[in-house]
Amino acid sequence: MATSCNCVAAAMRSLRPAAAMRLPLRSPPCRTFTSFHHSNLQRSSRTIWRQESARLSGSQRGTQQVQNLANGLRGQSRPFSSSTPRQKLKTIQQVKARNKGGPFNLTAAVLFIATAGALYAYFTYEKERMARKRIAEQTKGIGKPKVGGPFDLIDHNGNRFTSDDMMGKYALVYFGFSHCPDICPDELDKMALMYDKVVEKCGRVLLPIMITCDPARDTPEVLKEYLKEFHPDIIGLTGPYEKIKDVCKAYRVYFSTPPNVKPGQDYLVDHSIYFYLMDPEGDFVEAIGRNFTADQAAKVISDHIKDWEGPLKKKDRWA
Amino acid sequence: MGWFSSSETDGVKKTSGGAFEKPSRTNRAKCYEARDAFFECLDRNNILDSINTKEGVAAAKKACNEQDVVFEKNCAHSWVEYFKKQRVVNYQKEQTIKRIEAQGGEIQAPQLPTRGS
Repeated sequence: MATSCNCVAAAMRSLRPAAAMRLPLRSPPCRTFTSFHHSNLQRSSRTIWRQESARLSGSQRGTQQVQNLANGLRGQSRPFSSSTPRQKLKTIQQVKARNKGGPFNLTAAVLFIATAGALYAYFTYEKERMARKRIAEQTKGIGKPKVGGPFDLIDHNGNRFTSDDMMGKYALVYFGFSHCPDICPDELDKMALMYDKVVEKCGRVLLPIMITCDPARDTPEVLKEYLKEFHPDIIGLTGPYEKIKDVCKAYRVYFSTPPNVKPGQDYLVDHSIYFYLMDPEGDFVEAIGRNFTADQAAKVISDHIKDWEGPLKKKDRWA
Repeated sequence: MGWFSSSETDGVKKTSGGAFEKPSRTNRAKCYEARDAFFECLDRNNILDSINTKEGVAAAKKACNEQDVVFEKNCAHSWVEYFKKQRVVNYQKEQTIKRIEAQGGEIQAPQLPTRGS
């Protein structure tokens, strides 16, 4: 390899205009390169090398051209930065002063910190974005929210009513209690309006159900009396406290009925006031809040019913 | 109706605990009417709170005792307490909304979207 290095070094030196003529280029110096080739190739490559060296050694003209080119480039070139070009540093002191701090100076430090900060901010942001995306994709499409579920209660006529009786029809489930001062009666009036509008548009495919949160006072008789003032079709459901508690839990309904109440005791029940729309298979579709007007709610329900492609029961035993 | 036969002056029929024996639309209407009369009296006398503070209770008793008695007679006791507290809460809510709107803020109560997925 030593010879090859000499060869390359020599070639380089030959490019320097002053030294060009003094170089021992006639010797065949690049055996290391040629030795890898077959003999015929060896010959031809030697020829090339000889030609090359001849050109280099022989032509003062060639080096002149290189220099001209270099001069031309220098004339055209513009510095990429506004900092002092190296060639303008005239004295050795200037160069030393410039290089005293090595490659580190204030500009470099500021740029470094700014870049590091920007990169850090960017990667932090990207990391959070990816985490959010992952969560969204995890929850998306895996299933409907688990609202609702099987129950076994007693309707306002004293008959058994289970979640199976809801199958085949949409159901609008509301939780309330008959001793409710102001909100529930308003909501039940709205429910009656909604129900009538939906029946008008889609037929009798919706069950309006009111489940009491206050089973101690809301017996089937009380519910029957209470609900017929709102709409004769509303089904009131009651049952033992434990069963009501389970239904409320399944529908994610908060309620605050005291478990052991004395007869005649006066109390209020705090509870969630959503209408839960359940599809004919008993799956939760949508919650309708107090902010909906009867018209808006009826539209939402009708739209869902129209979307339904499965079978719908038009008749029922409560008709 | 059966439970209503016990003359108008007695108000609605109630249980020993003070609850409605049977809550009905008529009963509610009577209760709301009595409530509105009581609150009107409080408004006239510039009383906001008739339940939470001792002074409020005393002031309400002094100025609107008559309406208060009718109110209690026509409503379940729990309803009376509920409405009296609600009056204070509603007033505070109104004031807060007014204050925020005066500051140029917008009120957006947390609620379900009207058109969900």
